[in-house]
Amino acid sequence: MEIRKIAGATPHGVGLNNIDDSPGPCCMSFGFDLKPLILSIDTIGLINSPVLIESGQGKMTIIAGFRRVQAFKYLKRDEIPCRILLENSVSHLECILINLHDNLSTRKLNDVEKGMVLSRLSLYLPESEILEHYMPLLDLPSRRETLFLFMALESEPDVFVKESVVRGSLSLKTFKRLLKMDHESRTHVLNLLSSLKFNSNQQTQLFEYLIDLKHIHDKSLSELLGDISIKRILSDENLNMPQKAKAVLGFFRSKRFPTLADAESTFRKKVSRLGLPKGVKIVQSRFFEAPYHRLEIRFREGEDLKKKIEQLTRSDRLETLRDPWEEGG
Amino acid sequence: MSNFQIKKVLLDAGTSLHIQTEKILSRLPGVPVQYIEGIRSKRNNDEFGSSAPETACTQDNTFEHKPRLGKDTLHLISYKGEFLKPCPGTREYICCGYQILNVATNCPLDCSYCILQAYFNQPNLRVFVNLEEELKRVLHVIDSEPDRIFRVGTGEFTDSLAVDPITCWSDLLLPAFSKRKNVVLELKTKTTNIERLLDSKYRDRIIVSWSLNSPYIAAREEHGAASLKNRLKAARQCQSEGYILGFHFDPLISHPRWKEGYLKTLDLMDKYIDPEKIIWISIGSFRYMPGLKPIIRRRHPKTCVLNGEFIMGLDGKMRYFKPIRLDLYRFLRENLEKWHPDLGLYLCMESDDVWQKSMGWSPGNTTGLSHYLDKRVLKIFG
Repeated sequence: MEIRKIAGATPHGVGLNNIDDSPGPCCMSFGFDLKPLILSIDTIGLINSPVLIESGQGKMTIIAGFRRVQAFKYLKRDEIPCRILLENSVSHLECILINLHDNLSTRKLNDVEKGMVLSRLSLYLPESEILEHYMPLLDLPSRRETLFLFMALESEPDVFVKESVVRGSLSLKTFKRLLKMDHESRTHVLNLLSSLKFNSNQQTQLFEYLIDLKHIHDKSLSELLGDISIKRILSDENLNMPQKAKAVLGFFRSKRFPTLADAESTFRKKVSRLGLPKGVKIVQSRFFEAPYHRLEIRFREGEDLKKKIEQLTRSDRLETLRDPWEEGG
Repeated sequence: MSNFQIKKVLLDAGTSLHIQTEKILSRLPGVPVQYIEGIRSKRNNDEFGSSAPETACTQDNTFEHKPRLGKDTLHLISYKGEFLKPCPGTREYICCGYQILNVATNCPLDCSYCILQAYFNQPNLRVFVNLEEELKRVLHVIDSEPDRIFRVGTGEFTDSLAVDPITCWSDLLLPAFSKRKNVVLELKTKTTNIERLLDSKYRDRIIVSWSLNSPYIAAREEHGAASLKNRLKAARQCQSEGYILGFHFDPLISHPRWKEGYLKTLDLMDKYIDPEKIIWISIGSFRYMPGLKPIIRRRHPKTCVLNGEFIMGLDGKMRYFKPIRLDLYRFLRENLEKWHPDLGLYLCMESDDVWQKSMGWSPGNTTGLSHYLDKRVLKIFG
């Protein structure tokens, strides 16, 4: 059968009992929510019929439409209109392409699903063709490292990890790092990431600190994450999730940059001792790299500004704010 | 070349016509030669512009940048870009105003901290065989400004002497620069490849300089480089044969017991070198483009160079947090000055503020530092 003819094939009612329950070898669905589709089918019926292939002994295997079949089953229907391919009339690659294009025409694939597509295609197509043609189709850069990363995501055995990537609570960058970790470290990291809500940037930052500290102190990630201070932060009932995430990051930052953290703390103390008027702030340059600080004054009107400037000029404590790195100072 | 060996030569289309190609190949008998036809692209003319490293991927979950540096492959190229270029300083920090003579890119040594790992978009030791022709143009530029002092070096994008036994660039460069009064040529190295220099009759306007570090860093991080002692022995030999010396403590690395380590190097200098015949000693701390870090981690997993407290500098590069830099500079300056009070010390890519605090004075800006170094040239060479 010519692959293009499938679009014009007439759907026939197929008993749900005759359809293999498994997602099928071409399925590219992961981490989906069936409810909107159930509601849609229940409200206006099936618009696009699934594609099945005869698999012998009267059973049908799903080529495209696993979710639709699932929705029909949920709605306790007896039959579903399907287009049927005869056994051996299409190649396995053609079945995969039918599924891929059927999906691409209606929705965006998540990262795990993209990995499923690439893994399946890689069984039949040369790498160069996947890079050149299919990666752009999936909105991915045509790079080998991206291809291998997505394929590794597909073959990841831990469903929790896959679900976390799909939910966005585990960034792809973090997933890439997990691949290189030993089991214990990986477990520690996943526990931390699942108990606290780090955003993608925070995850990147956390790993920067952890990997640097691992090298500096020759400690494993499990040892670093098992620090008593981390346990205290995690069990602190006065902190909410984002505050805990911030505190954990702050802890590792001060471990990674002790001199900088100390300088920042000293600076903050010095500034707080200046007794600045309300709405006036002194901000250090980024990492103290530029030799200047910045004075910020929040004011309503000129009179207010004048008052604050006068207060500042009368302060005899401003002179105590000196260059922190002067020799002997 | 003692520590490395060329295993393959690549010839770009057209390079076989250059006399230098013939000479270089004659010094590599038995090394396979591969002719590359029709794959030259405009990237050859973008030699110094890109920071994208070559990436090689395997399916064993190693997706990181994996530069195929091809340190045993000599790639002969007819370079179409500028041969003489000013050092790419930045507005935020004071630069020495050096001129780079581009004779080659990449380096057979494998220092873990080397910026070249992330700097060039093409692998292999790339040697520019049209140097002889292009040198005329370079010398014309130098001759056209007789009142300006050109401080020229070949050691920015490669080690100046590492492949000299094969290229014999020194045979070409020494006579050309030695006879001019408004230029000095600095050959910067971590090797002991001084044979051709010693055989040369040219000394005037030539500076042979060595990059130095603590023994700990030299042994652990400067893979393929000569030992500190051997570098200084080679320096002594050059000095005793009439060459003016320079030294570069760059990159200084903050590591356990670094003070003790750098003092050991200073002791070795004292043992082998006459400080009177040193034109300058630069001091700089380790700095790197953020993109270099994953490359270093991958290529040198045991390295300690990334262990310090690095912050993003005003030029977007990572550098040690200021008080750490100040400690390093003050310590080196004080101890070098104890050795000799007039060594032409200068900081590489630092701010006026850091100059003042660590050196006790500042040239103020790049022009000021250039004047200071020009004066050193006049003092030493007249």
